[in-house]
Amino acid sequence: MVEDVNENTTVFPGEVIKDVKAVKGVTILGPGLKRNEDPPNTLRITRAGKLQFKPPNIYWVSHNHKRYIPKRGDLVVGIIVKKAGDSLRIDIGSGEYASLSMLAFEGATKKQKPDVQVGDVIYGKLLNAHREMEPELVCVDSYFKAGKMGPLSNDGFVFTVSLGLVHRLLDPENPILTALGKVFPYEIAVGMNGKVWVNGRNTKEVLTVLRCLETAELHDDKVIVELCRQSK
Amino acid sequence: MDEVKLRCELGVLTRPDGSVLFSEGETTVVAGIYGPVESKINKTLVEKACVEAYFRPKSGLPGVKDRLNESMIRNVCEAVIAVALFPRTAVVVVVQEMQNNGQLISCALNATCLALLNSGIDMKCMYAAVTCFLDRSDSIVLIPPADEREIKGSFMFVFDSVEKTILASHTEGSFSIDQYKDALSLCREESTNIFNFFKKALTIK
Repeated sequence: MVEDVNENTTVFPGEVIKDVKAVKGVTILGPGLKRNEDPPNTLRITRAGKLQFKPPNIYWVSHNHKRYIPKRGDLVVGIIVKKAGDSLRIDIGSGEYASLSMLAFEGATKKQKPDVQVGDVIYGKLLNAHREMEPELVCVDSYFKAGKMGPLSNDGFVFTVSLGLVHRLLDPENPILTALGKVFPYEIAVGMNGKVWVNGRNTKEVLTVLRCLETAELHDDKVIVELCRQSK
Repeated sequence: MDEVKLRCELGVLTRPDGSVLFSEGETTVVAGIYGPVESKINKTLVEKACVEAYFRPKSGLPGVKDRLNESMIRNVCEAVIAVALFPRTAVVVVVQEMQNNGQLISCALNATCLALLNSGIDMKCMYAAVTCFLDRSDSIVLIPPADEREIKGSFMFVFDSVEKTILASHTEGSFSIDQYKDALSLCREESTNIFNFFKKALTIK
């Protein structure tokens, strides 16, 4: 089975792509593709979805997942499920809990640890994510500064959306969050793992954001922008 | 020859990562996939994901026959999912029988394939299961005869999408070698229709 390399063609597991474009013998493969040995310089699809190609040499298959698979460097929202000595266990929605050291917060020392409890929500970065190992979170960057990372306020509300919607929301040009922000102010943390934390002035507004994102799962960006414009 | 009518609805359940309501003629099942999730310590495999299958009958507790279906589903799924990519995890497959009109196993297997595709888990290839029946007049048909006593034997084959090789087979009743070969070629032909149906169902989404 041979597929032409066309953007937005729907591909299925087991199909083979020929004529892979490479720069100096290098092709960058994203999720849903594996290198195929048998006919050399071909790729094998492992997921059903739309084949995407970004010139000159990046390939991936886009699919609206529900289950998160940890990737190094992803910013995620997680919930503390266990406190064990100096390390925390965080549920980030993947197959395994991630670990977070108590010393990986800004300004934390052996004597002065952050005040976090089981059930608190954390916004952090994946320092390490390999399929053979437990994922590891940190709440500081390489200069030991927290930036936007760290514990999120308990006043907020956490819910889960599909990973496709997360990718849409995190696109800087996406109009949904800005359109919503013009109606009323709110705070939001969108994790790459599909967990979203929202805080607003009151419960009603938080629920409006929640309802809005639930609608965005099924509808186009334009529908949300139009709804926001009407409610202003 | 009449064809078996296929219908499906993807993502019918909200909690699983992939789900489908699938019907093959009158036979209907709901399938859900959870995975990769954390596995039980005594079932964890160091080098690959462990596939767990649960088959729930229409009523009552699962019996011996349901265990047979479970083992068939588990074996096919394990062969098809890229289990080596998710070590120390589990992939849970749950199938709920809703209506059985003869081709229950093939319907359950096709439903799990669609649910796996819906969940977006990495797979080596797709698969399609086809059931056909040998009736009293020794002709091989895809649609189950209305009267159960008409059935002399039944054949079920599972094919992969790349080379159309057999992944699993299950037969009941008595038949000759030639009849078996005829049934195999008929099922292989029919599997193309099922693959086309899968592709259409996933493209529309």
